[in-house]
Amino acid sequence: MPILKTKSWPLAIKLSLTITAVVTSVGFLIGVLMVAQDWKRFQNDLGEKALLLSESISTTAPKAILRKDYWSLYLSLKNMASKGPGSRSEHEIIDAMILDSEGLVQAHLHPANHPIGLLFSPQNDVDKAIFKQAMAVRTPTVLSSDGFSKDGFQEGVVPLFSDQKYLGVVRVRLSVASLFEKTKSTAVIVLLSILLFVVIGSLLGTIVSRRVVGPLAAITQGLESVGRGEMSDFSPIPVKEGDEVGRLSVTFNQIMSELAEKKMLEEEVAMSEKLVALGRITAGVAHEVNNPLAGLLNCIDTLRQHPNDKALIDRYLPVIDQGLHRIKDIVHNLLVGLKIEESVEMITIEQVEKLHDLVLAEIGEREIEVIWNNTTDRDLFIPVKTEQIICNLLKNAVEILPQSGTVCFNMHQEGVHLVIEVIDNGPGVASNIRNQMFDPFFTTKPNGTGLGLWVVYRLVQSMQGVIEVKSELGKGTAFLIELPVIQRQAA
Amino acid sequence: MRLTLLILLFWITPLHAADVATPIRFGLTAVVPIENLRFLDQWSRYLEEKIGRKVEFVQRKSYREVVDLLESGGIEFAWICGYPYIQTRDPESLQLLVVPIYRGSPRYHSYIIVHESSPYIRFSDLKGKSFAFSDPDSNSGFLYPLALIAKKGEKPENFFRQTFFTFNHAETVQAVAEQVADGGAVDSYIWEYIAVFQPHITEKTRIIKKSESFGFPPVVYRLGVDEHTVKQMKHTLENMDEDISGKGLLDKLKLDGFGYYSDSLFDEIRVLEHTVQRAVSNHTIVQTD
Repeated sequence: MPILKTKSWPLAIKLSLTITAVVTSVGFLIGVLMVAQDWKRFQNDLGEKALLLSESISTTAPKAILRKDYWSLYLSLKNMASKGPGSRSEHEIIDAMILDSEGLVQAHLHPANHPIGLLFSPQNDVDKAIFKQAMAVRTPTVLSSDGFSKDGFQEGVVPLFSDQKYLGVVRVRLSVASLFEKTKSTAVIVLLSILLFVVIGSLLGTIVSRRVVGPLAAITQGLESVGRGEMSDFSPIPVKEGDEVGRLSVTFNQIMSELAEKKMLEEEVAMSEKLVALGRITAGVAHEVNNPLAGLLNCIDTLRQHPNDKALIDRYLPVIDQGLHRIKDIVHNLLVGLKIEESVEMITIEQVEKLHDLVLAEIGEREIEVIWNNTTDRDLFIPVKTEQIICNLLKNAVEILPQSGTVCFNMHQEGVHLVIEVIDNGPGVASNIRNQMFDPFFTTKPNGTGLGLWVVYRLVQSMQGVIEVKSELGKGTAFLIELPVIQRQAA
Repeated sequence: MRLTLLILLFWITPLHAADVATPIRFGLTAVVPIENLRFLDQWSRYLEEKIGRKVEFVQRKSYREVVDLLESGGIEFAWICGYPYIQTRDPESLQLLVVPIYRGSPRYHSYIIVHESSPYIRFSDLKGKSFAFSDPDSNSGFLYPLALIAKKGEKPENFFRQTFFTFNHAETVQAVAEQVADGGAVDSYIWEYIAVFQPHITEKTRIIKKSESFGFPPVVYRLGVDEHTVKQMKHTLENMDEDISGKGLLDKLKLDGFGYYSDSLFDEIRVLEHTVQRAVSNHTIVQTD
């Protein structure tokens, strides 16, 4: 359920939800307090009214009780209960009665259920309790039902005295039903107002959070495109306000435009570097090919002038052969270096092992020790380009050594990486020429073409590998190559 | 109705010219079903027009107050109940003027009524119940039920659980209809009158006993009122049914007219009083003011 992961929700939604929640809870709290206070005030007012009505009856009742004038007692209750024309009383008299000191009914608003002269009979437990309280009352008192209910009541109880003798009690009970309805409608209005506040609050919250979060989202998008290196996609964030968010947007726009400019400059530099490299290659080719060509042309000229001089032919033919081979080597290496194709050809580790013998043959009479350390699995398959890389590095190491020395070859696996190390204890590479090592036609060897390491570099690059060189003058050089090429048993 | 008003207006005009120095005061009691001021205005104007003197209607809560006013000279005429009329006074101060004619005769009844939903079907069922009397000086609303109790050999003060006076027949009907009292005694004329104009009240009551007939509550005058005025009043009332406006007023009262009858019309009430007095030495069983 990704929708429940609130932490990943957009800031705009979280902000507006928070604002809405705050507005709702504050509104609700105020509403509840208002309604509760209203209800209490209404109840108190109603109690006062009930007491007032009871007191109005109590002024004439004692005399009528003494005279047993039940009819006028009844009429006084009835007149009080019947709303006169134009009266706007909001109360409803649900019960009114006059009882004597024994609790006998002297008059009741509902005489059919409460006949005069009989003991008042409460209808339920609440009535019983209130009746008991009312009979004990000796000063005007308000008795009421508990809680928030439509069936609640407020009862004004006024005791009756004649010459300080207790005669009985007047009870007038008012229903809270209309107040209940009124409070309910107030509650509904409050609820609707809260809803309105919530809607307005949410809208405002959404607008505010959009205004705040909008530029942030644009900045995030911009940063993401920087990460992908696609600065051209970025269009400046519109700045409307001068606040913190506005200033952030302005700064971000500046940074982005500077980055874009920088990238453009870099591309231009790269392009010119490419052109320089191309120029260097062209000049190298011209120079390297031209050198033997001049010698070859001289040899051919001399041979042409002395076509029958056997000694000359024997002397010059190997020179011509050597010159042509050199040109062939240069062209071959150039082709290898420039025309790297996505070859899918694979070889086994066994084929790498064969290079051991090749190196030994290359060493010939020299006193060079080769330490061969291959720990890779024998059933591994690796791209054919790897063989070329290892071959070139080993040749380079052997060639760089004088008459004696050590060449160390290590190869092992690290996850998907094939790690190759070729270390020699030769003269090392001076730090000032270290960054030219992989340039084409750069060489420190008297007969080198300057293309061996360039080819290695190009091959490693084409395989998304990494090449690292550690070198110290007079101590030797170490090449470390990591290639992400390991596959099990290529099918 | 409109015609009546027009005629009234026509008659009112010369009235201002007439001598209105001393008004004739006419007492009314609860035997008259109409307490409507507009009706009383119309009736007093009618009488003024006929007699040529101002006529004032005087209303009091109880019969006793009206009779007292009559005896003390506070009023000249009064429409009272037959019971106060037959009570002996020394010296005699009241004289019979006319008796209303109701449904063809100068007689009426007492109704014992209960709530229509109640289980009571005869008067004795009301024993131990609450009972509404109309007026302590009413024949139909007090004397008759007392006589019924007396005839049973019961003591009136113990017969009912609770009793009270409404001082008005109409309110007695109301008290029973609203179940304030389990039973009540009421003037048949008033009950029938309410049954016509406010049937929803009488529909809630049920008559469980109808008395023998009694002389209708009469109009009396005080001895000492000048003969001319008495004659004029008697003549005017007796002839009310002979002109349109008088007839209109009678219609409102649901009466046929007024007529002179002999005093023996009230002998049945005298018998009732005798029955009650024989049963109780003190006929005032309930304290009133």
